Amino acid sequence: MKRTWRFWIALWASKLTGFALKLLGKKATTFPGVLAQRIHPEILRDLGANYGEGIIIVTGTNGKTTTSNLLAGILQTAGKEVAFNQAGANMLSGITGALIANTTWTGSTNAQMALLEVDEATVPKLCRQLTPRLAVVTNFFRDQLDRYGELDTTVRLVKQALPAATTLILNADDPLVAQFGINGSKVRYYGVERTPESRTDSSETREARFCPACGQVLEYSLYHYGQLGLFNCSSCGFSRPLPDSLAEHIHLEEGKIVFRVGVSTFELGMTGFFNLYNALAALAAARELGVGDQDSISGLRQFVPQAGRMERFVLGSGSLTLALVKNPTGFNQIISTMLGQTQHIDILIAINDLAADGRDISWLWDADFERLGQADARVGRVICSGLRAEDMALRLKYAGVAEDKILLEKSLEQAVELLEACRQQGAAFVLPTYTALFPTRDILAVRSQSRTEQEEGRS
Amino acid sequence: MKIKICHMYHDLLDLYGDRGNILTLVARCQWRGIEAEVCRKSIGEEVDFSEVDILFIGGGSDREQNILVEDLLRRKDNLTAAIEQGLVVLLICGGYQLLGKYYQTGTGTQIPGLGVLDVYTVAGAERLIGNVIVELGPELSSSEIIGRSGLSSLVGFENHSGRTYLGAGLVPLGRATTGNGNNGQDRGEGVRYRNVFGTYLHGPLLPKNPHFADLLLQLALERRGYEAKLSALEDQLELRAHQAVVERFHMKQF
Repeated sequence: MKRTWRFWIALWASKLTGFALKLLGKKATTFPGVLAQRIHPEILRDLGANYGEGIIIVTGTNGKTTTSNLLAGILQTAGKEVAFNQAGANMLSGITGALIANTTWTGSTNAQMALLEVDEATVPKLCRQLTPRLAVVTNFFRDQLDRYGELDTTVRLVKQALPAATTLILNADDPLVAQFGINGSKVRYYGVERTPESRTDSSETREARFCPACGQVLEYSLYHYGQLGLFNCSSCGFSRPLPDSLAEHIHLEEGKIVFRVGVSTFELGMTGFFNLYNALAALAAARELGVGDQDSISGLRQFVPQAGRMERFVLGSGSLTLALVKNPTGFNQIISTMLGQTQHIDILIAINDLAADGRDISWLWDADFERLGQADARVGRVICSGLRAEDMALRLKYAGVAEDKILLEKSLEQAVELLEACRQQGAAFVLPTYTALFPTRDILAVRSQSRTEQEEGRS
Repeated sequence: MKIKICHMYHDLLDLYGDRGNILTLVARCQWRGIEAEVCRKSIGEEVDFSEVDILFIGGGSDREQNILVEDLLRRKDNLTAAIEQGLVVLLICGGYQLLGKYYQTGTGTQIPGLGVLDVYTVAGAERLIGNVIVELGPELSSSEIIGRSGLSSLVGFENHSGRTYLGAGLVPLGRATTGNGNNGQDRGEGVRYRNVFGTYLHGPLLPKNPHFADLLLQLALERRGYEAKLSALEDQLELRAHQAVVERFHMKQF
């Protein structure tokens, strides 16, 4: 592809600014990417042409970051050089910045392929410039309605944007995702046979009560979670496709999930069934890229969860799990994980409502906090923090959590202190929304560390 | 004493935490020793609105609203009669639009509504999204239940592309001092007709506006001949959540 003078100016200006920002000690920002796009709005087209083995995108509501990281781990195990965008930098400017960082001053790259986590609303913009080799679509749940508008619109825009030449790696169990494969020829599906949590009825708030193909009511023989399950439409015949990568014999062991796909047994060092789907998505994509299951087995086994996704710390009298919460389905999964163990639990929930969190917090009322109210004997304190601490506290009151267990502390720092002081033996969970995640993590890292140092000093 | 709450189209119109409104009505009955029964009804299911005390219809996506217009029109006579006899109705977003005269889409097509409310809605290009604070109008703020709460506003979150305009005889619930309200032009938000309340505020509405929740309960009891005022509840958390929104988002009036 012929590169114009605009490309070189955009590339060099962006790299120079990135370099200068680094010298000034600034953390990575999206500014270099924004600048490059300003100078050359179609720079992604030029940057993308560098990757001989193509571009892989991962999109959907939940699991984008974990799936991308799992797939990156597998590809690296298989000896591939992969250009990669960091979590959160999943809009056009962040993606541009990441690809520029992987491009030398002379415009080339060492990586064979680019693996991009892409925000749903960014897929149409990205696909105007790039034709991905693979697109992994994880799931669609209500999320940030203030930013995306209605879920139907998001799903439709993503579906229309994906080029016909792109091979789709689809979650067979989510009707909103599986419908992307109707009439498609280049499609691979992944799915789950049955989890220990699968049920024949569902009380969760669900999307997709109606067939995405014909609008009639969808029937389910099994629900996994949310609208994920074994569905079929008796009216038009649209049903859960047979997965090419099907997880069977799923069981939980201490802090890990073990499952079989075909003749291979996989092991993932994370809890939560949503992570099983993330692993399957990565596995299905790796298979399509010609990576053998042996590499996938070791890639998944060696995986260390990234910041704030079921990450472990030490605080006060025991360990603590930090997990990002951002929408009802994700929160329900965390509640299941918390109540899935038999221990006493203390919880800190930090709800912010900045743009990256979603300004509308009505979703708190769609998550099933009633389950915490019903497990009253096992729930100690629930500390509510963040900009919307009061809303969270009120939600818990109406969910039946005793009012004397609900503590309001708007400062994150003091909320963590409070948790440390009042937690009992058992498990503790810290559940922040996106903009509260990193500040909370910093506080926990310091406290975890100072405690370790004190203990070392004593011994 | 028993309050019968009917959540219509719970499976279709449940986009913005609407079940929070039902949870609130039920809890505030139970805390006072009033029995509350919730029935959830959807397309094709029989309902006799004269037997219902509080009817709730929430918001959904455009597609889902289109699916149920036909079903709603079939119920028109029964519902209209109950409303004229004082049935308490809370309509949010889509429910509010559906009970109006029509919804005019972007291409100019008019989808008929139930026509119970003399309002009509026109699709707008931009969605109106954000926190809303409504200063209650004189009719509502003079009510005893509202007055004793010490609150003079409603708080919530709006997310709608429809612009709703009220007929000549109708007044809004109040004035949006923050946010857009009915149409982003006249600053009016919501509507009241008899005991029917329409609004664009979700958030959900009732948990953070306990005075408004109690007003609905009081009106429902009065319709059945109970004159006694509802007892006051411990509403510290509710009031704090309400005030937090007012303090954070209150802006100078336009």
